[in-house]
Amino acid sequence: MKPLEEIRWKGLGVSEGIVVGRVLRMHDGTRYVYRARIDEADLEREVRRFRAAVRLGARQLQKIKKRAEIQLGKDHAYIFDAHLLLLEDAKLIRDVETHIVQERANAEWALKVVGDQLLSVYSEIKDDYLRERGSDIEDVIQRLLVALSGEQPAHRNLSQDAVIVSQDLLPSAVAELDLEFARAIATDAGGWTSHTAIIARGLGIPAVVGLRDFYRRAKTGDNIIVDATRNEVVLHPSRATREYYRGEAEKLRQRRRTEAVAESGPAHTIDGIEITLRANVELPTEFAGVTNYGATGIGLYRSEFLLTPRGGMITEDQQYAAYTDVARIAGEAGAVVRLFDLGSERTVERDEQKNPALGLRAIRFGLRHQEVMRAQMRAILRAAAEGSLDIVLPMVTDVEDVRRARAILQEEEAGLQKRAVAYGQVRVGAMIEIPAAVLTADKIARVVDFFELGTNDLVQYTLAVDRGNDEVADWFRTLHPAVLQGIEHSLRAAREAGIPAIVCGEMASTPAYAVLLIGFGATDLSMTPTSIPRVRHALSNVDSRTARAISLECLQCESAEEVETLVRERFRAEWPQVFSLRSLPASRKKG
Amino acid sequence: MVEKTLTVKGRLGLHARAAAKLVHVASSFRSKLLLQRVDGSAKADAKSILSVLMLAASRGTELRALAEGDDEQEAMKAMEQLFFSGFDELQEETSNR
Repeated sequence: MKPLEEIRWKGLGVSEGIVVGRVLRMHDGTRYVYRARIDEADLEREVRRFRAAVRLGARQLQKIKKRAEIQLGKDHAYIFDAHLLLLEDAKLIRDVETHIVQERANAEWALKVVGDQLLSVYSEIKDDYLRERGSDIEDVIQRLLVALSGEQPAHRNLSQDAVIVSQDLLPSAVAELDLEFARAIATDAGGWTSHTAIIARGLGIPAVVGLRDFYRRAKTGDNIIVDATRNEVVLHPSRATREYYRGEAEKLRQRRRTEAVAESGPAHTIDGIEITLRANVELPTEFAGVTNYGATGIGLYRSEFLLTPRGGMITEDQQYAAYTDVARIAGEAGAVVRLFDLGSERTVERDEQKNPALGLRAIRFGLRHQEVMRAQMRAILRAAAEGSLDIVLPMVTDVEDVRRARAILQEEEAGLQKRAVAYGQVRVGAMIEIPAAVLTADKIARVVDFFELGTNDLVQYTLAVDRGNDEVADWFRTLHPAVLQGIEHSLRAAREAGIPAIVCGEMASTPAYAVLLIGFGATDLSMTPTSIPRVRHALSNVDSRTARAISLECLQCESAEEVETLVRERFRAEWPQVFSLRSLPASRKKG
Repeated sequence: MVEKTLTVKGRLGLHARAAAKLVHVASSFRSKLLLQRVDGSAKADAKSILSVLMLAASRGTELRALAEGDDEQEAMKAMEQLFFSGFDELQEETSNR
C-alpha cells in the first residue's frame, strides 16, 4: 500500500506539549446513515447485530459511568443512569426490531427512523427544559450507531496513545471523555479560553484547537502528531517524522521535569518583589496539581462544576462536603470559592435567553434565585469552620450587587448562629470582569475585602468578542490597549483602597503576560496548576522595574498589533534567555 | 387495580434524572404501572424511560397513575411518595440523608 501523504495543519496550541499518537475521532452529532435492503434470510442476523450493539453500548456506558463517578464526581455521573435506561428501553428495542423485520431495513436505518420519530415528538414539547432533554435520546442513538459501525474495537486498540480529534468538545462530551487514555486533543473549533483548552491545561495534555475542517480528514486509527508548541498537527506523518517528534517530545519532557522540581511558595523577581502563585481548579482530578506544582492555596474555585452537566442542583450538605475538601487541599493559604456562575451556558433558563452572556447569570441569577445562593453561602460558611475559605461574587456590575449579596450573607450567618451551627468567617471579594466594574473599581473597592480580576471575561466584554466564536478569534486580543488599561485601572483602585487583588484569568497562566501583569503592579496571580512552574521560572528571571516600564509603554499603544510587536521586541531584547520567540505573542492580522 | 391522580412537582418536571428514578422504582414492583395525562393525550408504561419521557410532563402536569398486580398497593404508595417528594434533587436528597 502506498504511504499516505503527510499533511500539516495549523491551529492554535492552547495546552503545551508534543504527542505522537493515533487519531480517535469523537462523534459530535452528525452521522450519515444509508438505507440497505436486507434479504429475508438475513433478517434474523440483522436483529442479532442490533442486539449486540445494544449490549456493547450498555457495557460502554457502565464503564463511562464508573469513571465519571471517580473523576468528575457522582453528580456528573447521574446522567449516564438515564442513558443506560434509554439504551435498554424495551420500547426502543421493540420498535427498532419491528422496523428491521417489517421494512427489511438494515439496523442503522431502522434506528435512525425510530430515533427521528422519537425526536420529532420531543421537538414539539412546549416546555423548554424538557424539550432539550431530546439531546439525551440523541446521545443514546449516536452511541448505538457508533456501536453498529464497529468503530469500537479500533477504539480499544488505541487506548494507549489516543489523540481525541473532534469538531468541538462540548462540556457534556468532556464528561464522557476517557481522561485516562486521552493523550492529546485536536479540535476544529475553539480558542485559547474555550472549555477544551481549559480542561486540557488542567489535565496537562497537549491541545491544538481552531483547526478548521481538519476533523473530516482524519480517520480513527490514523497516525497523528499534535505539536502544541508549534501550533500544528501532522496527519499521516512518515516514519522519519514520527521519530523526529518522539525525540522532540522527550526533550520537552526532560525540560519539564527540571522545571517541575517541587518548588513551592511565592516567586521572587530579581529585584526581590514577592509574587504569590495560586491555583485555579474546577474538577477533582485537578486537586493533586495544587500541591504537585507548588501553589499557594486556591485562588479560584469554579464552583459551578459541582453541578451536573445539565444544570441539576446539588444539596447544601453535598456542597459542604465539597468545600471542606477544597479547603483541605488549599491548606493554610485558603481557597476562594466563586459563587455559581449560572445562567451562561448550563442552566434551565438558557433557552429563554437570546444573549445568555449578557443575561441573567452569575450574581444576577443568584440574587433572583436566592434559594440557590443562600444554600451555597450556608455551605461555604459551614465549611469555613473547617478551613480557610473566601467568597468571590461573579459578574459584579456595581456596589449595589455587592451590598445585596453581603446582606444575604449576613442573614445566613445570623441564621446559622441562631441554630447553633458551627461556621467560620469568610471574606467577600468581587470579580472585576465587566467594563462597568472596571470603570467604578474605586467605588467597589470600598465595599469588598478583595478584588479578583477575571481576564478572560474582561477581554470578551471589553472587546465585545465571543471567546467561543471561531469566526472572530482574530478580534479576541488579550493585549488590546483597552484591556490593559482596564487591568491597570483596577489594580490601581485596589492598591489605593488598600485591598488585595488576585489576577485569575488565563492571562496569568502565560509567562509573558504574567510579566506584564507584574508590570501593572499585580503581586498575586492564580492560574492552571500545570502553568505554575513556567510562570515561576519567568518571574524569577525578570526585574519588576523593567516590566513596569514595558507595561506602561504598552498603555500608550494604539492597537493590539502594536502592543504585540512591542512586547515581542522588548522581551527579546531584555530577557532573551527567558523568552524564546515561540513563547511570545505571535504577530497576527485581522481578517 | 388502583388508580390515583398525581401532580408533577419538581421544578424541572419529569426530566431524565427524575424519569430514571421513576423507572427504577416502578421496575422494582411486579405490578403493571401506567401513567396517563389526565387530558388523555399521552400514556406511558412507567417501566420504560422512553415512554415516560414522551409524556413530556412539565411542572404542574396532572397524571393519572394506574397499578395492577399482586403488589399494586405497595407500588402505588411508592409512586405517590416519589411524586410527593417532587423528584427535586435538592429537597429529596436532603431528606434521604
